[in-house]
Amino acid sequence: MRWELSPEQADFRTVLADWLGDVCPRDTLRGWLDAGDHATFAHRLHTDGWFGVGAPEDLGGEGGGLVELALAAEQFGRHAAPSSSWLASMVALPAVAAVPDAAKALFGDGAVVALATPAGTIPGGDATVRAAGAGLSGSVPTVLAADVAARFVVPVRGEKGLELHLVDAGRPGVRVQPRALTDRSRSVADIELDGVPSTLIQADAAEVLARCAHRGAVLVAADALGAMVAMLDATVEYVGQRKQFGVPIGSFQAVKHAAAEMLVKVESSRSIAYLAAAVVDAGRDDAAVYAATAKAQICAAGPVAADSALTLHGAIGYTWEHDLQFFYKRALLDAELLGSPGAWNDVLADRLPLVPGPEMSSKGGAAARAIGCDPS
Amino acid sequence: MDFGLTDDQATIRAAVADLAAKFDDQYWMECDRDKRFPSEFYDVLASGGWLGITTPEEYGGHGFGITEASILIEEVAKSGGGMNAASAIHLTIFGMHPVIKHGSDELKRRTLPGVVDGSTHVCFGVTEPGAGLDTTKITTFAEREGDHYRVNGRKVWISKAMESNKILLLTRTEKADEVAKKTDGMTLFLTDLDRDRIDVRPIPKMGRNAVSSNELFIDDLMIPVEDRVGEEGKGFTYILDGMNPERMLVAAEALGLGRVSLDRATRYGNERHVFGRPIGMNQGLQFPLADSLARLDAAELVLRKATWLYDKGEPSGREANTAKYLCADAGFEAADRALQTHGGMGYSEEYNVARYFREARLLKIAPLSQEMVLNYLGSHVLGLPRSY
Repeated sequence: MRWELSPEQADFRTVLADWLGDVCPRDTLRGWLDAGDHATFAHRLHTDGWFGVGAPEDLGGEGGGLVELALAAEQFGRHAAPSSSWLASMVALPAVAAVPDAAKALFGDGAVVALATPAGTIPGGDATVRAAGAGLSGSVPTVLAADVAARFVVPVRGEKGLELHLVDAGRPGVRVQPRALTDRSRSVADIELDGVPSTLIQADAAEVLARCAHRGAVLVAADALGAMVAMLDATVEYVGQRKQFGVPIGSFQAVKHAAAEMLVKVESSRSIAYLAAAVVDAGRDDAAVYAATAKAQICAAGPVAADSALTLHGAIGYTWEHDLQFFYKRALLDAELLGSPGAWNDVLADRLPLVPGPEMSSKGGAAARAIGCDPS
Repeated sequence: MDFGLTDDQATIRAAVADLAAKFDDQYWMECDRDKRFPSEFYDVLASGGWLGITTPEEYGGHGFGITEASILIEEVAKSGGGMNAASAIHLTIFGMHPVIKHGSDELKRRTLPGVVDGSTHVCFGVTEPGAGLDTTKITTFAEREGDHYRVNGRKVWISKAMESNKILLLTRTEKADEVAKKTDGMTLFLTDLDRDRIDVRPIPKMGRNAVSSNELFIDDLMIPVEDRVGEEGKGFTYILDGMNPERMLVAAEALGLGRVSLDRATRYGNERHVFGRPIGMNQGLQFPLADSLARLDAAELVLRKATWLYDKGEPSGREANTAKYLCADAGFEAADRALQTHGGMGYSEEYNVARYFREARLLKIAPLSQEMVLNYLGSHVLGLPRSY
């Protein structure tokens, strides 16, 4: 088997990496994060024409698919770019696709769409919002990019089952309460809806949510991969310069081995991430397995690699002045974002002929069904 | 707090190390290879009076505590004898505890002196194929008939049964569904291992091959009433008394195996040269060994605390279980690293670390798995709901 990026994909990666080097260098990033400014980056991403790459042309995108999005996510992770609004929109795209006006506004005006599910869980769990009378009511905590979203895709417990509704964030009755994250390069906010009018999205809600979940798993995994790449590069550079006992610390075997372990994580993560992107993009029946594997494996490796990077940097890596903190925190948030490794491993476990755990069976089963992993 | 050994303990340690050193790796390698009980070793310990280290003096022993017993068995394992040496004497040095504590004077006078002088080999018959660690599920049944009990059933993983002439046998005298508490209705015997009534079949296994592990098929074994330990129906509580000391002894065995493994690895790391320098100069080899030293030292402290508590008559379940868990883990890890340090030579029998490795692995399974230790700590110490 041979699988590699097309020349166009490879070019895309190179040009995007160069662009990020210009637009999002470390000192600029630090300034944005200190000021809580994610808008400047989002604006540049849109006006410089990157936002539509990886989205179908008939929706107003530039073409390409999930492999291109994964390439972008890896680069964003590698630069710790404030990319929440992009990520949220790309995750929500299967729902947005059913509402042409919203898609047009997304790619034309950069009107961000966020999927209203808690950022720490796999999209597709129990809906907490209800359709009551004329509008939607309920609350959803910690929604990714909710603070900058123009619209929300809201899973709703309707009379006939699960539905997806599109809600305009500017409507009366919508309250958005931002929350501070330790990783300042991403944002979340709590949403409260109180009798808010909405548009029913004409699509199979469970199926759309499953696709959102799979895309999210792949893109967060790719982001974690990028963060690991940045930490490995920084670590190798540092241990080559830093001297102790008259020699670079990188000459110590234990240090070399730790760096080599990081490289193994990076390489295996890359293999998993792009295979998963291709499989999910192709809409294969076993997409859930690949998405879950990518999210569980790569996002579990991220914090371990981050810890190695911190150890090899010594105390300097623990300081606010050092850039390692951006990637360390990025990797830790990626582990939990859109479902922890444990949650995605449950998805995988549900595919195996195991006896369900006593208290997990109903909840885990529901989550598994919601993301298209029902073993039955 | 005093971390030192008493004079007696220091003497025991030195004397046992001296005796055990008479049996070198070649001896143990051959016993293991030929599946031969280490009688010469056993006889030397017996004639030195060591088998009765914890037996009360009135029955010919020395009346020491579990601390001294654990030091003895640790030294025996550490000598390179490993589990083959330890298992040859394990039950003798503390397994008679239920008999000493609950048996009749007549039973003790009749049996203990032989155990102490080594002429009586005893095995411990508790576990069964259908019960595993769920001891109350045993079904071997003892039916009272006049002044005898008629016993039928099956036992499995009975160490040293091939070599033993007596068995400490746990049975049911009432069925599990006929008693108020499932721990009731179990009765303990110390009786002759009658080969006409008990078919003993060794189980081929991965290591510790000098001492057999067996399956027992018991068919109308007639046990005289006077061989019963304590009261009928209370056998489970008698056995329970011995669980913590057993865990401590097993911890000491794992510790000894870890120590000898680390010793051999260190020696090889200094002697073996590759790329023009001793391989121990590689951080990739040195750090794991240093890490094992730290882990063995830490595990040893918990073990010492456990035996100290037990000998003072205080509760020791938490420490006994923790000691077993940490010593088994540290001991196996040290053996694994010793094997790795030896490279290909570690895989040959010639360097003995492969034998330590096989034996150390056993202690993560026996006498109870690491997971069951965590069950104990999780539910009995932390107060979490029972998870199994």
